[in-house]
Amino acid sequence: MRMSKLRADIQALLYLLPFLVIYILFTIWPMIKGVNMTFYKWTLIRKMKYIGWDNYSRMIHDKDMWAAIGHSVIFVVLTTPTMVILAIVLAMIANRKSRLQRLYRSVFFLPSVLSVAVASFLGLFVFQPYTGLVNSVLHLVNLLPENTEIFWLSETNLSWIAIALITLWWTVGFNFILYLSAMQEIPDEIYEAARLDGANDRQIFFRITFPYLNPITKTITMLQIIASFKVFMQIYIITGGGPLDKTRPIIQLIYQTGFKKNDLGYAATMSYMLFAILLVLSIFQYWLNNRKGANA
Amino acid sequence: MKNVYRVVSLLFAFVFVAPVVWMLVVSIKEEGMKIVTVVDWFTPPYSFAVYDQILSATKLSNWVLNSFGVAVCVTVLTVIIAALAAFVLSKLPFRYRSFTFFFVLAGLLVPGEAIIIPLYQVAKDMNLLNSYEGLIIPALASPFAVIVLKSFFDGVPNDLLESVQIDGGGTWRIFRSIMLPLTRPALASMAILTFIGSWNNFLWPFLSLTDDNLFTLPMGIPTLMSSYSEDYVKPMVVNTIASLPIMLLFLIFERQIVKGVSLSGIKG
Repeated sequence: MRMSKLRADIQALLYLLPFLVIYILFTIWPMIKGVNMTFYKWTLIRKMKYIGWDNYSRMIHDKDMWAAIGHSVIFVVLTTPTMVILAIVLAMIANRKSRLQRLYRSVFFLPSVLSVAVASFLGLFVFQPYTGLVNSVLHLVNLLPENTEIFWLSETNLSWIAIALITLWWTVGFNFILYLSAMQEIPDEIYEAARLDGANDRQIFFRITFPYLNPITKTITMLQIIASFKVFMQIYIITGGGPLDKTRPIIQLIYQTGFKKNDLGYAATMSYMLFAILLVLSIFQYWLNNRKGANA
Repeated sequence: MKNVYRVVSLLFAFVFVAPVVWMLVVSIKEEGMKIVTVVDWFTPPYSFAVYDQILSATKLSNWVLNSFGVAVCVTVLTVIIAALAAFVLSKLPFRYRSFTFFFVLAGLLVPGEAIIIPLYQVAKDMNLLNSYEGLIIPALASPFAVIVLKSFFDGVPNDLLESVQIDGGGTWRIFRSIMLPLTRPALASMAILTFIGSWNNFLWPFLSLTDDNLFTLPMGIPTLMSSYSEDYVKPMVVNTIASLPIMLLFLIFERQIVKGVSLSGIKG
């Protein structure tokens, strides 16, 4: 009896082994090692000097770090509500019965399969003055007078708008599909009953569709906040964090500190700040979900 | 009212395809041509000359292959490794099962971006920088995949497993001939999500690669772009070559991809 229990344990361990080895080596171990790194002045060629809590006190007073966190927050604020609303709108379009239904579905998700570099460079060219697609179209429909140009990428506020629009275009497809599949689960009879009662489109949306989507909206919102907080690559390609570091997000600062300024210890310290923020958001998301589960 | 819906819908569709169409059109223009208005899209001449030039003079085709190769390896291995672990957590009773489950669950809370600096150091100590192994191996243990697959495995009734046991089949046979076939849609969805994730992965290749023979697309494209400044034809050819294979795959596997993504709602 005892023997067979031991055998079951060994068997289970064998199945788990590939996962656990890689998980411990490349997730758990770096997590622990990183904490250790924060107490050192640590360079790329691994010259280490113990400095205690210095990295932490330096971080608390680091204006650049707080600014970078602020930029990540700006990006979250710009993209989260727009992402959710746009996803609902697109899902409503693709959920309406029409001959183009399938086309809409493909078209709205298509940008999501592009590599981040392609999406970002495409966006970069689209927002270029003189030759970019956006300004050309604005000229064409006379929204922008001849001989004037919008310099999207050289002014902080405009570059935020450009970055947010490019990101929306590139990634909204995922949220769109989550909404679309949630909408398809709403039973037709509910709509029919509402129509029989004389409800108009707006009432149907706000009284039926939107409340029905409430749980998925919460999920998408939280996932979007977390994902947006981790923004780096599109901004790095589109503005490089400029003008004057005014769009530099926290991950870019961590990267520059570690690899350009050769200060891995301090970069690791800042990444635990990022970790802490994301952890709070994730725990909040779990809490929301479990509450949702309890109510269901 | 119906027409308003239709016009708005078409407008959205136009906004979503326009940049891609623009990319394709500009890529078949002749170099040095000014493409300033939309009208210019439809005026010849067109030419594929720049495609030949880019393909022969740059490592772009290598990078496309690298991106695909890495994504395929990561996808296949991740799904296998996660399925094995999920099977144990779902169907095999052993002593530390609930502890192991929470240990894996905790991994969902660890953001990869936040441990990238120590991961770099770990990979460096293990001599994994600048290698295909270094691109692939650290990505293979996905707690997300394990948790999602476990929830699907939980849905397979235990009676089925017992019938295999009565026939004298061991756990491996249960896994191979019951669990995997019955949960194929979930496995396929997980594969698709993993593939897209790997395809778009930027930060890790960005930090761990310096050898441009190993670059994946997100790494390679920026190095090319910085050398083109005169007009958009070359950059758009680069973008197009990088995108055509994945866009074709998308059009072929669209239904499965859409299913795979809607499954990811489980994440929440």
